Amino acid sequence: MKDTKTEIRFFSVPQWKKEEQYLRDRHNDGWEFTGVGFPGVYHFRKCEPKDVVYQLDYNEDSVRSRDEYIQMFSDCGWEYIQNYVGYSYFRKPVSEMKVSEEAIFCDDASRLEMIKRVFEGRMVPLLLTFFMVIIPQIFMQAEEGSSGGRGVLILFIVLFALYLAIFISFAVPFIKYYRSVHRD
Amino acid sequence: MDSHIRKVYVPMTETGFYILLCLREESHGYGIVKKTEELTNGEIVLSPGTLYGSLSKMEKDDLIRFVREEENRKIYHITELGSQVLELEMKRIKRLYESMMEAKDERY
Repeated sequence: MKDTKTEIRFFSVPQWKKEEQYLRDRHNDGWEFTGVGFPGVYHFRKCEPKDVVYQLDYNEDSVRSRDEYIQMFSDCGWEYIQNYVGYSYFRKPVSEMKVSEEAIFCDDASRLEMIKRVFEGRMVPLLLTFFMVIIPQIFMQAEEGSSGGRGVLILFIVLFALYLAIFISFAVPFIKYYRSVHRD
Repeated sequence: MDSHIRKVYVPMTETGFYILLCLREESHGYGIVKKTEELTNGEIVLSPGTLYGSLSKMEKDDLIRFVREEENRKIYHITELGSQVLELEMKRIKRLYESMMEAKDERY
């Protein structure tokens, strides 16, 4: 029997809670996460089924001061697995936890900070492209009105729709998560 | 102390409070975790993500300063400003505690 496997799963940027649960469920089934490669491609190795909590952090320092960043987590018993497009993956077996349901964040203030980092790192560049490139291009192409511009116009309208779909798929889980953390 | 510092740190998070309390002596992140566990009989276990973020923010705001690095662990120490903020926070908590005890005495 094969002792490694690959699964394809897509999680949008703000769905890291779902991704964490997915990895935990796999470990409980006896498949230890070894890394994510191409977007949405998850690699696993066969292991003893075990309850292991997986956590994702989004922090520029994970690249800028990598060694020191990883050291802090490993001192606290969190094994570093990898960094993937800005997200760092950690895990810790429940059996090694001192308090129940330990996590890499222990208060709402820091959970909100993480949401803000994801927003700034991922959403801001997209929003800039949307407002500085796509929308002006649609107006410019529409004004030109020449037949050559038509194809380009359609391209930008398709991009406009695509970006809008991405924003909505980002915004909904973001707001949901933000509300679940920030209750006032 | 400017209004930004007051707004952000008074009152401060429990994590922030334990960081400043522990950093009256030089220490690294994990040292703060251990010390906090000792002080609270294991009831408070600071998480690395929270701690890392708070330390970076407090260093930027000049509440603590980086002293040196030892085996990939940054060692920090509280600054004069940090001590002032901690002092304010201690007073606030003392007042809370005293109000609580007074209210309790009135009830029984």
